[in-house]
Amino acid sequence: MLVVVTGISHKTASLELRERLALDEAGALRVAQELLSSGTATESVALSTCNRTELYLYGRDSLAARQAAVERLARHAGCSVGELEPSLYSYSGDAAIAHLFRVTSSLDSMVVGEAQIVAQMKGAYQAACEGGCTSVVFNRLFRHALEVGKRVRTETAIGERPVSVSSAAVELALQVFGSFKDHTVLIVGAGETSELTATHLKAHGIERILVANRTLDTSMELARRVDGRAVRFEDLEEHLAAADIVISSTSAPHYVITREVVERSLKRRRHRPIFFIDIAVPRDLDPEINRVRNAYLYDIDDLQHVVEHNRHEREKEAQHAERIVEQELAAINDWLRSLEVVPTIATLRETVEQIRQAELERLGHKLSDLTDEQRAQVEMLTASIVNKILHTPTVKMKEVAGRQDCYLYVDAVRTLFDLSGNGEVPRAGGNGAAPEEPTEVPEAPPAVSETPAEPAPGGATVHQLRGTGTDDA
Amino acid sequence: MAHVSIIFFWIAFLLYGGAFALFIYYLLTRRPAMNSLGLALVAAGLACHTAAVLLRGLDAGRVPAVGAYESLSLAAWSIVVVYLVLELFTRIKAIGLYVMPVVLVLLTLALVGYKAPAGLMPALRSDIVVLHVIVMFSAIGCLYVAGGAAIIYLIEEALLRRRRAGGVLGRLPSLGALEKLVYHATLLGLPFLTMGMLAGVIRAEAFVVPHWWVDPMVLLSLGAWAVYVVLLWGRIRADWVGSRIAWLAVTGLVVLFVIRFAAVPYLSGFHTYGG
Repeated sequence: MLVVVTGISHKTASLELRERLALDEAGALRVAQELLSSGTATESVALSTCNRTELYLYGRDSLAARQAAVERLARHAGCSVGELEPSLYSYSGDAAIAHLFRVTSSLDSMVVGEAQIVAQMKGAYQAACEGGCTSVVFNRLFRHALEVGKRVRTETAIGERPVSVSSAAVELALQVFGSFKDHTVLIVGAGETSELTATHLKAHGIERILVANRTLDTSMELARRVDGRAVRFEDLEEHLAAADIVISSTSAPHYVITREVVERSLKRRRHRPIFFIDIAVPRDLDPEINRVRNAYLYDIDDLQHVVEHNRHEREKEAQHAERIVEQELAAINDWLRSLEVVPTIATLRETVEQIRQAELERLGHKLSDLTDEQRAQVEMLTASIVNKILHTPTVKMKEVAGRQDCYLYVDAVRTLFDLSGNGEVPRAGGNGAAPEEPTEVPEAPPAVSETPAEPAPGGATVHQLRGTGTDDA
Repeated sequence: MAHVSIIFFWIAFLLYGGAFALFIYYLLTRRPAMNSLGLALVAAGLACHTAAVLLRGLDAGRVPAVGAYESLSLAAWSIVVVYLVLELFTRIKAIGLYVMPVVLVLLTLALVGYKAPAGLMPALRSDIVVLHVIVMFSAIGCLYVAGGAAIIYLIEEALLRRRRAGGVLGRLPSLGALEKLVYHATLLGLPFLTMGMLAGVIRAEAFVVPHWWVDPMVLLSLGAWAVYVVLLWGRIRADWVGSRIAWLAVTGLVVLFVIRFAAVPYLSGFHTYGG
């Protein structure tokens, strides 16, 4: 049994294709359910965000599962499989789980460290869970993935620093004010970045937005969009006294606000601090403003500097996050391995044999009176009882081993007999198959290596589909 | 009992040290778990420290504020208490960065001056002296924290102004929060300081201490008191914000340090607990 993921993301597909493949919540659930009913997989989750659409499947035949998923996606996009293929990435086994963890940790995101993906992944999993598309493996796997995302977030600083000019501006303003309760922002000149910054500020709780532009119509238009109030450009100085944050982006060739104006405004507002953000080129705000007590001035270069620095720091943290993903992968693999039939049978036998030996040992002094022959008979008797008891479960488990849902039985056996190990104890030969077991169980899915006909665009490498090497034999 | 007390003292010392290391690590790496872990260590350290102080008090049979070891340990203890309370109520991070080194230095000095508990000289056996000591240590706890916040405020402001904010962005508390912290800690500390000074005066008058008002420690305390009164007045009446408040808090802190490390051991006539 293998975890398989296939899909497209911003790294492999154009925006146009991503739009065509995007699934709404109901659509995602429908796709997941259809894939289950097709019989190629036993568990499925469909994730769709603006940057990626991917399907996670758990099935015996990873190639067939992938094929079914690709066909379903192609049908949704209204194109042929061949058209879709170059933009797809597919992973199976370890690689698929690593991918899931990396996605949830936002290591695979367009902006590394962005926070939304955890909620999106959680939503996708919950929808699938409620729609009956997940079971033992995916319930555990996706919960674990969400935990990994959380761990990466608390143990690394991956999401701690703003990496866009507007969010850096907001962060700086927060560094001065702490919160934006009862604060006012004044937008001078209407520009895209200033609007974006105003929107960010609004999201952080700022209440009053004033817009001043040379043409009143433009101010009114912008004020309407950001839910603010348009003011006359001529009254700029007056409004400056009320503003805690000033964002300037006019196309004026000279300074719009000078040091003297700021000094007067500060006096009028009893020296409560003002944070100036100058996004305009050429600059709108006199650099001398930064020398005024309780006035702070950042221009576009300063902000870009901050952003650059933060990007760099995030990359460093991402390396740390990759290590966490590796650790967690090892942890979940131990568990997944335990869901295989042959090692479970071996562990079960080993455990019962240990009980038998322990009981014999406990009776040791009472048996010492027996002759060697009698002792051998006791030995045989107990061994025979153990074998008889274990015979039926062993046969039955080998029977179900061929079924898609065999791991549910394995899970039950492990729970009932409290077999917590991962089946490594009795393993001989290193491939998980105890040599004395007859090989009547179906063959392992081939350790497939499927390379797409052509490499995907965008520099994304489509990893080979490969087994974990420990699929139940 | 003395052994147990000093063992607790050492454990507290190590826990505080660990917390300080974590706070530094947090500042450098910004990993949120580090700050929480650091706080947990401070809390554990405080528990041990409390045990150490209580046991010492039981051992000596009085308030453990006599001699360098006891008084410095008690000062450190009250600082940690104030710091933890403020941290829990305001959720302002990074105060520990300032508070922990001060605490560690005070505890080191305390260890250097360690002496087995001595009996109290007769003149100090009085309820009003006990009150005086307790209230003064509360004031010191608050005002040291205010000073720490003020120092961070000034550093952060300078960084922001020099556009070096990239590094500290989001790790240090905001200027607004720090300024509030300075204000609140002073607001809390000044009444204690006033009460403590009044208790001292009453005591001096009652026992007719000659020329108590020209004692350097008394004069310096009065100076510190004036600084804090100006700070609060400026903040409340004159709308001073930011760096001026911070500078006043730092000035007050310097005076307090002078009192503790110059006036007590070398200058004061009758505040003989120090050493």
